[in-house]
Amino acid sequence: MNSDPSHLNRRDFLSKTLAGAGAGLVLGTPQLLRAANRTAGSDTIHIAMVGFGKQGEVLLACLKNIPGIHFQAVCDISKNRQNAFRSASRGMPNASSTTFYTDVDDMLAKEKGLDAAIVASPDFWHSPHTVKCLEAGLHVYCEKMMAHTLEAARDMVRAMDKSGKLCQIGHQRRSNPRYRYTLNKLINGQKICGQIVNANAQWNRSLGASQDIGGARLAKSIIVPDDILQQYGFKDMHQYLNWRVYRDLSGGPISDLGAHQIDIFNWFLGAVPKRVYASGGNSYFKNREHYDNIMCIFDYDTPQGEVRAFYQVLTTTSYGAGFYESFMGTEASIKISEIAYNSAIYREDAAPSWDHLVDKNYLVRKPAPPKPEPSADAVASYESAPPEIFDLPGGFNKPAHQPHLENFFDAVRGKGTLNCDARHAFESEAPIFWVNPSALTRSPIDFTSEHLSV
Amino acid sequence: MSLETGSPDNKLALIYGALLLRIWLGVRALQTGIEKFAGTRSGDQIVAVDGVPNEEGLVAGASAKFYSLDNYSGVPTALMSKFKDEPLMLKFALPVYDWILGPVLLLLGITILLGIGYRTSLFLLGLLYISLTWGLILIKQDDGVSWLGIHMILVVGALALAQHNRLAILKKW
Repeated sequence: MNSDPSHLNRRDFLSKTLAGAGAGLVLGTPQLLRAANRTAGSDTIHIAMVGFGKQGEVLLACLKNIPGIHFQAVCDISKNRQNAFRSASRGMPNASSTTFYTDVDDMLAKEKGLDAAIVASPDFWHSPHTVKCLEAGLHVYCEKMMAHTLEAARDMVRAMDKSGKLCQIGHQRRSNPRYRYTLNKLINGQKICGQIVNANAQWNRSLGASQDIGGARLAKSIIVPDDILQQYGFKDMHQYLNWRVYRDLSGGPISDLGAHQIDIFNWFLGAVPKRVYASGGNSYFKNREHYDNIMCIFDYDTPQGEVRAFYQVLTTTSYGAGFYESFMGTEASIKISEIAYNSAIYREDAAPSWDHLVDKNYLVRKPAPPKPEPSADAVASYESAPPEIFDLPGGFNKPAHQPHLENFFDAVRGKGTLNCDARHAFESEAPIFWVNPSALTRSPIDFTSEHLSV
Repeated sequence: MSLETGSPDNKLALIYGALLLRIWLGVRALQTGIEKFAGTRSGDQIVAVDGVPNEEGLVAGASAKFYSLDNYSGVPTALMSKFKDEPLMLKFALPVYDWILGPVLLLLGITILLGIGYRTSLFLLGLLYISLTWGLILIKQDDGVSWLGIHMILVVGALALAQHNRLAILKKW
């Protein structure tokens, strides 16, 4: 265990989570990492991209909008993906000077002057790649989920602490202005929810979007030679293209899709859960190693009281409004999503008026939906009055991941602190590692420090 | 009051009528030409909450119209692509037309408003409207054709009243 007093040690963990008093402070406060020590006057940040798959493309589309970034090196085991980077980066300043590698050790040995690395490799490579880059003196932005095992995620936190470098984890909602406004101004500031007693989130993805990538016959251009695949931990091309469905390579849908949203539970509630119950199964994809549908309940003790948070990830059905998180309180419920139109705030009928909040532009009122016709099968006295609907007074017009990357580069330039460093990400992700074991054993897991601490 | 032709009262009415038509057609052409140089500058403004810009970075879209030579577009882009697909459209003439449309409207607007070669200016404006009408017929924009038909009636009306035109800089032509 690390001797750094800033660490959450096991005794601290017990006092902060099981006693239910201080965890909010742990999760609610941004990391006060020391500002990066960059040379004054050199504003260009020289970066390496480690892994350029689909998520790499998403990040590159954002990075193109951020001034002062130089892609000095790209590392990917696939020549096809290296070429994809060449095409996607065309037009960026100094794009022609990027050097390409298939091996991260080779890249770190040869490239001088790198400031930071963007790690977007498959989950089981996140930890080795991040640790290597941190040890080489680079700041790291690593995609979530931190790792495919809890121990590998712990290694990342330890490496961050030991190196003194910045390590941001790609929970991009933590930098999303709509999420930050909702938490800071509405939930914590104006306390519009009253006491939050339940939370609910989901990612319902259609069968079509959940199919295996690649078919029986793959285009020659995308095939990676067998010796390269095996050198980098893939049994064959199916594993290489579909690592998300293998237990040794990924945490499956609950970490692939659920990690973002369970992170929001912890962040918004200002606590880590004390227990998880989960159930899942191979309901459709019979041969997959991971369950294709999982539902789970996290129990929290928050400073306000106990909260139950339900989460489901479906890979067989998109019905039910796709993906969102909601927080249900005694005075209001907030439904929030990365998709702005899938978000709204509902004031309970009996809650105090929000006219003053509307007047001050904390919220804007949404038009009320048309009243339903009286129905013979409804018993009026059983029904609650429909809540008034409100919205945030603004949004943001950038790709979803861009503010989080901007936050990272601001911190690298010494102009701010990270919104989701590896330690905070670990505290948030650790409970997720226990969802699959709970579902597999059909039994609840009561968290102890062994489950959740570094 | 008598409004018979030649009576002083009627003559004044015809002079006023000619002047109103001249101003209408001149302003119509001039401003349409100016609008060819209009563009929109859009940006985001930080939303103020309780009178203070929010720290989280919530923004609301705001846009402002501005004029610049760089904004110039004679034929609207949406129509241009349709014209390009028309077999009867002279492909080499399209960029030329696109290039001159705005300046011609500006020039005719000014000459009509100031009364420089008033009748010829009206005639040229009528020809311009005919050319636009032909293009809109090709791409089946019947509403636009009707709209331009009203303009043609006004041009012809202005020509009919041209003998009552006053305050002109150059009466010849």
